[in-house]
Amino acid sequence: MNEQDQDETRQAVRDVFPPVDAELRRDLWPLMRRKLEASTPPVAWYDWALVGLVGGVVVVFPDLILVLVYHL
Amino acid sequence: MNYRYLRAYMAGIVVPTAFLLVVLVVFCLARFVFRAPVPIERVIVFPMALIPNLFGAWNMLYVALSPRHRLSIGAHGALLPFALLPLGFTLGVLLGLVRIDQGGLEGFQAVRLSYVHAVFVFPVLVVVYYLVWKYIVGFLNDFLGIG
Repeated sequence: MNEQDQDETRQAVRDVFPPVDAELRRDLWPLMRRKLEASTPPVAWYDWALVGLVGGVVVVFPDLILVLVYHL
Repeated sequence: MNYRYLRAYMAGIVVPTAFLLVVLVVFCLARFVFRAPVPIERVIVFPMALIPNLFGAWNMLYVALSPRHRLSIGAHGALLPFALLPLGFTLGVLLGLVRIDQGGLEGFQAVRLSYVHAVFVFPVLVVVYYLVWKYIVGFLNDFLGIG
């Protein structure tokens, strides 16, 4: 492929694919910060109980660890 | 275009993809430090290839259901092990990772579970999935505006 062929190929690709608008229409970082700083609801007491239950089962039956990890 | 389902898929795969590092560490420790004969190359297929995609598809299903017809995000996630556990078990048997005998189950050529211990796997998985979906996937869905 000589120089002229390359130019023609380049031009053909440019004709087919329009230029991409890569600029963001607005700054997304402030929005992300607001969402991260928004207060999240506290963890319910029964969910803490479930966390303790799972921890207890894993401590009592450590053989389960590999099987549980396999499914996560 | 707000790419609702693409965002749902991406929010769904975050947890298992990130947790894959933990999975790899645990199995590598078992294999190379504790010298357990765990066949990592066969074990890793399920957590690496199937689980993230299932999480993504399950979250897409959650988003696709109308708010009137869907459960809470935690309950929706807690249903996933009902499909996932049989799938993982079947794949484990087919790949020779899980064997069943009279005494119980032998997994990954490294763990032996009596039936009494094996009974705990399913409820623990349901609880873990409930918590993960309620607090992490739910947060990500809200964060992306698809909750």
